[in-house]
Amino acid sequence: MSHSETPPNWSDRLEETLIAAILGIMTLLTFANVVARYGFNSNIFYALELTVFLFAWLVLLGASYAVKKTLHLGVDAAVNLAPDRTKRLLGLLVVAICVAYSALLLKGAWDYWAPFANLPPTEGRWFPTGFVEKYRGRGWYETKDIPVPFFLSWLEAVFNNGDEYEKLPKVVPYLVLPVSFALLLFRFVQAGVRVARGEQDLLIVSHEAEDDVARAAEKLRDHY
Amino acid sequence: MEILFLFTMVIGLMMIGVPIAISLGFSSIVVLLMFSDTSLASAAQTLFESFEGHSTLLAIPFFILASSFMSTGGVAERIIRFSIALVGHFRGGLAIAGVLACMIFAALSGSSPATVVAIGSIVIAAMRKAGYAKEFAAGVIANAGTLGILIPPSIVMVVYAAAVDVSVGRMFLAGVIPGLIAGSMLMISIYVMARYKDMPAGEFKGFGEIWDSFKDAFWGLMLIVIIMVGIYGIPGVTNAIFTPTEAAAVASVYAFFVACFIYRDMGPLAGDQPVSLAKRPQAIFTAFWHPDTIATLRDAGKLIITLMFVIANALLLKHVITDEQIPQRITEMMLGYGFGPVMFLVIVNVILLIGGQFMEPSGLLVIVAPLVFPIAIELGIDPIHLGIIMVVNMEIGMITPPVGLNLFVTAGVANMSMMGVVRAALPFLAVMFVFLILVTYVPFISTALPNALMGPEVILN
Repeated sequence: MSHSETPPNWSDRLEETLIAAILGIMTLLTFANVVARYGFNSNIFYALELTVFLFAWLVLLGASYAVKKTLHLGVDAAVNLAPDRTKRLLGLLVVAICVAYSALLLKGAWDYWAPFANLPPTEGRWFPTGFVEKYRGRGWYETKDIPVPFFLSWLEAVFNNGDEYEKLPKVVPYLVLPVSFALLLFRFVQAGVRVARGEQDLLIVSHEAEDDVARAAEKLRDHY
Repeated sequence: MEILFLFTMVIGLMMIGVPIAISLGFSSIVVLLMFSDTSLASAAQTLFESFEGHSTLLAIPFFILASSFMSTGGVAERIIRFSIALVGHFRGGLAIAGVLACMIFAALSGSSPATVVAIGSIVIAAMRKAGYAKEFAAGVIANAGTLGILIPPSIVMVVYAAAVDVSVGRMFLAGVIPGLIAGSMLMISIYVMARYKDMPAGEFKGFGEIWDSFKDAFWGLMLIVIIMVGIYGIPGVTNAIFTPTEAAAVASVYAFFVACFIYRDMGPLAGDQPVSLAKRPQAIFTAFWHPDTIATLRDAGKLIITLMFVIANALLLKHVITDEQIPQRITEMMLGYGFGPVMFLVIVNVILLIGGQFMEPSGLLVIVAPLVFPIAIELGIDPIHLGIIMVVNMEIGMITPPVGLNLFVTAGVANMSMMGVVRAALPFLAVMFVFLILVTYVPFISTALPNALMGPEVILN
């Protein structure tokens, strides 16, 4: 196992609770919609759209947590054959690529999200070289079905010149894009520091059940 | 040119240890920036649309959650007991029961490694105790475990359905008969080997034990019924009741209730001496935020995140290859060489067997399916049949040396060397190859059931 079990700190607890809560809400919402359809002959018209957005939030936000806990899937067969020194150098190269990936997508995510928040996207193709001066705000774009919850009623003043939103504006669900890629960038930089210090060599696990396999092997070994 | 560059980059990055998701995503972005005028903003948008535009994929988190609730406690043990009661008294019975248990568990869960861990950890120990060779036990489980992606519900099938726009319901139905055939072929070959090598047979414990173990496993087995009846209805009585996504969500809630309140393997009523709900009625509410529930949600969440992050990035890659019209160019090239359906399927087999060794099956499918799909349609191959062929290929990829995923998992569970498992799995690998040839060249096996129940397929694109 390339990672060790450390006692959870506040950010672990926050992220794990969020993961569990989002998944739980998605499930109950979809279930409630079925119950409403068959039990009460009505339906929760925004259930599907909201569940889809929650799903995107779960995965995109979770991606950075998975970096922290070394959960991302990869191919370790070739790397494990390399001598330690090469392995370490490869590790640094891998981190560099992951950082580049998150940085490129962070720019992309900002450029995509910003107009929905009436903010300027950045100039430049690869690298942000400044903000675009002329752009059209898209603050008035709304989702299809989701109503505006009471605690978000301030949105119309900020993003829509005080005009009332009929549905939740798209600035809210898409917010996850810049936030999650900023987090991903941060976690990859942290992982890079760990690799440079020699505390970790791989950023990947070879399959999703690694912990379970270790536990099962332990159990079998106890028997014989 | 781009295509060669793109795929060399993806494979190169994966080999040096870049996470699969990021190998796919990073290569796609680089190709986008170099060869097209698409902006980074639209790459980010495509990533988000993996979720927004593919509501079919929403079934995946719920299937994973349902199987997590089902694997928390003794469901695997109950299924194994039921399987042993049914077939344990044949020669090689414990091994046959192991295959049967894998088939049943595969119907509860959508993943192969999970099936190997859940069933393998118990059956391999039991088989060694009963006098089987450790290698034989490991070979059986490594192979039978791959049925997890063929027998519905299957996460890989959901991914295929989303990638090429066919119905999930059809794919699931198409997997039923091939799944039963593959399981039977494995069981028969074990029986033949057992007769030949004089392996132990258990004693028949009578129909009482079959009934008792069935009653015990009933609530777990009901999950299969809920999913299948939910998606397809009862022929002649009702139409479909749920969409596949809803069926998966209902299955999750059901599995939660069974695990907390009937089996009491987890939650506020669990313990060495499970408490009855009547004694602790508040449990009906506290179960929702009990630490066990949170832990299961969290673990399922981790799985969903890593799997879906791969799929989302693979969809980004798919976007790039369709934008660059790569599938059309490959189609023209292949048809230009005069490849017929047979040669084409052989090529698909080879690509998937090699790819399936290294890569998580779902991600591989998202990339390969759009490449080969247009060719298959051009050659008159049924999309559902193609899907089943691809799934079976990936099953075999998982148990093909040198680096099949299931071989790794089994070696880990059984504390064996990789080579040991490879040798042990070989005879059954041969069986699976025969099965692959059967499925590839007899489309009827895959298409009969969905066409009979849902009417003939209409190809729209």
